Amino acid sequence: MSTTAPIYLDHAATSPLDGRVRAVMLACLESPPGNPASTHAAGRAARARVEAARAEVAALIAAPPAAIVFTSGATEADNLAILGSARGNAVRGRHIVSVRTEHRAVLDACGRLEREGFAVTLLTPDRQGLVEPGALRAALTPTTTLVSVMLVNNETGVVQDIAALAAECREHGTLLHVDAAQAAGRIPIDVAALDVDLLSLSAHKIHGPVGVGALYVRREPRPTLVPLQFGGGQEGGLRSGTLAVHQIAGMGEAFRLAAIEGPSESARLAGLRDRLWRALQTLPGSHLNGHPERRAPHILNVSFEGVDGEALLFALGDLAVASGAACGAESGEPSYVLRALGRDDALARASLRVSFGRPTTVEEVDVAATRVRDAVGRLRSLAPA
Amino acid sequence: MSEPGPYSDAVGRLFREAPGAGRPDGPGWVSGEAREPLSATHVRWHLQATAGRVAASRYEVRGCPHTIAAAALIAAQLDGRPVADLGLDLPRVAALLGCPTTKLGRLFVIQDAIERAAHVLGAEQA
Repeated sequence: MSTTAPIYLDHAATSPLDGRVRAVMLACLESPPGNPASTHAAGRAARARVEAARAEVAALIAAPPAAIVFTSGATEADNLAILGSARGNAVRGRHIVSVRTEHRAVLDACGRLEREGFAVTLLTPDRQGLVEPGALRAALTPTTTLVSVMLVNNETGVVQDIAALAAECREHGTLLHVDAAQAAGRIPIDVAALDVDLLSLSAHKIHGPVGVGALYVRREPRPTLVPLQFGGGQEGGLRSGTLAVHQIAGMGEAFRLAAIEGPSESARLAGLRDRLWRALQTLPGSHLNGHPERRAPHILNVSFEGVDGEALLFALGDLAVASGAACGAESGEPSYVLRALGRDDALARASLRVSFGRPTTVEEVDVAATRVRDAVGRLRSLAPA
Repeated sequence: MSEPGPYSDAVGRLFREAPGAGRPDGPGWVSGEAREPLSATHVRWHLQATAGRVAASRYEVRGCPHTIAAAALIAAQLDGRPVADLGLDLPRVAALLGCPTTKLGRLFVIQDAIERAAHVLGAEQA
């Protein structure tokens, strides 16, 4: 392939809609209108599409369909889990525990709770990004009602040992919420085996549509959760609002495909990830961010000594990847996730997150490796020794 | 249609070509260096002077695209200027490049490095 053609390796940000998902969505959009809450035939047809999708989403995480609440995305699911759970259990206690490396959808929800008078403890993971169960145990207090830890980190791809953390929560009688936006379809998820109470999901990270997600809410025992929006009482009263049938159907199809193709696709993506790392690690001063083994197959995060992350991203041109400096390009703020792993500001800023998806090819990965190596080499040649 | 990026065409060209970049060889060069830890910007400026005026300048820079482009632009403007008066109009440089005001601090690193190099030159001539 051309060495200058655009290459998209930012699937952890969003992944392209699968053609099969698009077909399902179009079929919905071209069908007669129907509100799933209506009892006439068109409404019942819409309801059937929603329930079919609910079953597919539930199947991917080994949950009963009734445990799935559709939302507008993982951010809303995170917000509903954290705000809804904390507020709903405030009479039992007002202390929440989470981790410094969580997604902003979790951290900002925790910040909101702090402004409402809750106490929030943020754990610092070890240098490889893992949360020690002992550290969680030490943070739990008699007033802790919720722990929120993500399954796959969106920047580093580190996979937490959720079952071990869940055991601590269970012993303490604390609810556990897990943000699995980057995990679904990439690694196996069994909510019963993980023993989680609440789990957030996203469609567009696995080739589904943007604008739809879901929250798994354990059925037995069902955690107390108060809604964040009010209206028609849809989704068991937890998420009022007319259901976006075509979005939900798209999510269902994306999850169905992930269930079928996920295992082989994940193995392929892990091969691409390792191939790229092998090519980049020969550059002196390159550092893998996150645990070397407990990693999701689709994310690689590497820091490079002696270069500026924003300049590196710019030098890569039409190679679409994420940078540890990108979010704070104007403010100069380095990635808070990499800082929490102990990287200094310069290395945290000079990082690239490369993430792979269904369309990614070996050829693209090889071209990407060449472009990154060339860009790092050039920027280092400009910099003071 | 794609949105305009965060960098002007001038920044793109100067970043890609970086005219005047590099560590000079040969005698008669002096250097000044400056850093800004928050953004990890690091500039080393090299000057050569004849009869009190800048004969040539080179630079080494680690920084964002705006900083690299600004270094290239400034290097092209220094030749012939009196060593005793190398003050820079950084707001004008920023405007020429479309550099956001939040990054002005990084451009001051260039000025600091040039002033330190000029100071060395002044000391040698004295």
